[in-house]
Amino acid sequence: MTTEQSFLEPGQNTLLDLKLDELKRELSDMHAPDMEAALRARFRNTKPDAQPRPRLWWMPPLALAATIAMMSWVIRGPMPDATSLVSLAPPTTTIEGDRDPGPFLALQPLDRIASESGTRVVATEFPRALLADWGLPVSPDRAGEPVRAEMLYSADGEPLAVRLLN
Amino acid sequence: MTMPPKDLQPELALLARMKKGDEDAFAELYRRHRDAVYRLAMLYSGSTAHAADVTQETFVHFMTQPHQYDPLRGTLAAWLCGIARNLARKAVGGREDATDPEVMADDTSLHESHIDRDTPLDRILKGEVAEQVRRAVAGLKPHYRDILILCELSELSYAEAAQVAGIDIGTVRSRLSRARAQLAQRLAPHDLGAKEAV
Repeated sequence: MTTEQSFLEPGQNTLLDLKLDELKRELSDMHAPDMEAALRARFRNTKPDAQPRPRLWWMPPLALAATIAMMSWVIRGPMPDATSLVSLAPPTTTIEGDRDPGPFLALQPLDRIASESGTRVVATEFPRALLADWGLPVSPDRAGEPVRAEMLYSADGEPLAVRLLN
Repeated sequence: MTMPPKDLQPELALLARMKKGDEDAFAELYRRHRDAVYRLAMLYSGSTAHAADVTQETFVHFMTQPHQYDPLRGTLAAWLCGIARNLARKAVGGREDATDPEVMADDTSLHESHIDRDTPLDRILKGEVAEQVRRAVAGLKPHYRDILILCELSELSYAEAAQVAGIDIGTVRSRLSRARAQLAQRLAPHDLGAKEAV
């Protein structure tokens, strides 16, 4: 026996264990009377009670339904207006590293961008005045300054979206 | 007393078959556990007739309510012992209910009225030492005897004994420690007698 707190000396514990072992040895020679035939007969005539439903049986199907509803809402939610200059969801990684520089700004209609395959992101630097060509506001005082940006190009080199890094 | 092995998988497979109505699976589980259940019932009741009744009732309960056994909460052996223990205590009656906290706090006062002087088990146990221990165990207060039988003589783990007795493991440990101390105290006169005889 191992207890956290024993009221007995180690020698007393050992002596007691020996005595308990003696009783266990005697008990091990005792066997239950044979009642297998009677129990078998009883078993044949007994139908086990049906297992009751667990108390929270409705939780898993409810969770599944909620998940499906949530996914449907996310997938079928209203798309942003393709004609306006809107931001796109940023990619999970950027060329610049882990720092999140903000969303891409679409330079082409969203459905056009979505249909493009083989797009690539390129880090570049260009005069700030170029932003005016894409409809972005540019301060005349800073028109000559260079701007660092990431460009999303189509497979044939057409700029699709831009993300300013500073 | 050796409990059946605690590898649950074979027993769970038998249990699954039994639940589908497989009589042989039930018989196999009965053969595996009948002796442990019977011995436990003997220790509680001290009577072969009562122990046989309790064993039969335990397995009838098992065959009719198998879904009550939850493998996550312990072994089938421990669950069956728990049923047998409850049935045996019910059969023995009110004397098992002496668990008043004030009485429990007084560890030195032993209740001679709880000692079974002459039971069929006395006559079955041939060994003198075993009989002395058996009588000393029977003389323990019910809440101590209960844990001693479960942990020491039926070899349930502390967790299983806690589950069966409906108490926490810490209480099982402390009760077992006190039960052993009381048992040693009760057996001490026999040790002295043996020394004087030598």
